Amino acid sequence: MADEHTQAPRPSHSGPPREGRFGGGGGAGGGGPRRGKRQYFRKKKVCRFCVDKVDFIDYKKGDMLQSFVQDRGKIMPRRMTGTCSKHQRWLGVAIKRARNIALLPFATEL
Amino acid sequence: MEERLYDLIFICLPTTPEEEVAKIIATLEQVIADRGGKVEKVEKWGTRKMAYRVAKQREGYYVYMSLRGAQPDLIKELERRLKVSDAVIKYMTVRLDEEIKRQQKLVGRRERRARQRPRKSAAAGPGPAPTPGPATEPAAAAS
Repeated sequence: MADEHTQAPRPSHSGPPREGRFGGGGGAGGGGPRRGKRQYFRKKKVCRFCVDKVDFIDYKKGDMLQSFVQDRGKIMPRRMTGTCSKHQRWLGVAIKRARNIALLPFATEL
Repeated sequence: MEERLYDLIFICLPTTPEEEVAKIIATLEQVIADRGGKVEKVEKWGTRKMAYRVAKQREGYYVYMSLRGAQPDLIKELERRLKVSDAVIKYMTVRLDEEIKRQQKLVGRRERRARQRPRKSAAAGPGPAPTPGPATEPAAAAS
């Protein structure tokens, strides 16, 4: 049972909002487990850029940046991707540049 | 004024013939050369899908240039040229030298730290690739 829950947050691309909000509340350190047995062990996420020792996030790699935006084109929050604050900051700049030259969408039209 | 590094990307209509694109690139290079700039790299990415529609097009012909220049009105002139040419539907210039500088600083710092660390890990335990357990402790102590 514990295993099922630890895996749940990882492919958070599919169902982000619910999971994200809960994770955010827990991450802020205040709330704690409000809803009964929803307290579960979460595997610590590691910043992907720190692992690869990235010093410069290239805005030209649209495909790579694509994995850090949601279906509708929003930038994914750190609590979902596990990116560290430094790299998230650079990532935001890179994504915004990529949007400017139509490598990434501002918002996907439906 | 010191030299600055820029990235220049522009998108042409997908229907533009090759020669037309080559002509635009040539004029840009001419402008850069006139103003004492240097072209580092020119890449034609070719026709690719755009993330949203621009000028009623879903695809565009991407051209990427990396250039160095010191004159302040160089970019102004380049962008003016791109703006008036009919084939170009979108362009963007990004100044990158400050980010590169920051990156080099970080690389230097990491190397310095890496040079210091082996001594410590050698004292704690042998092996260039230590297991996560003992490796994290000296690192935490160092920082």
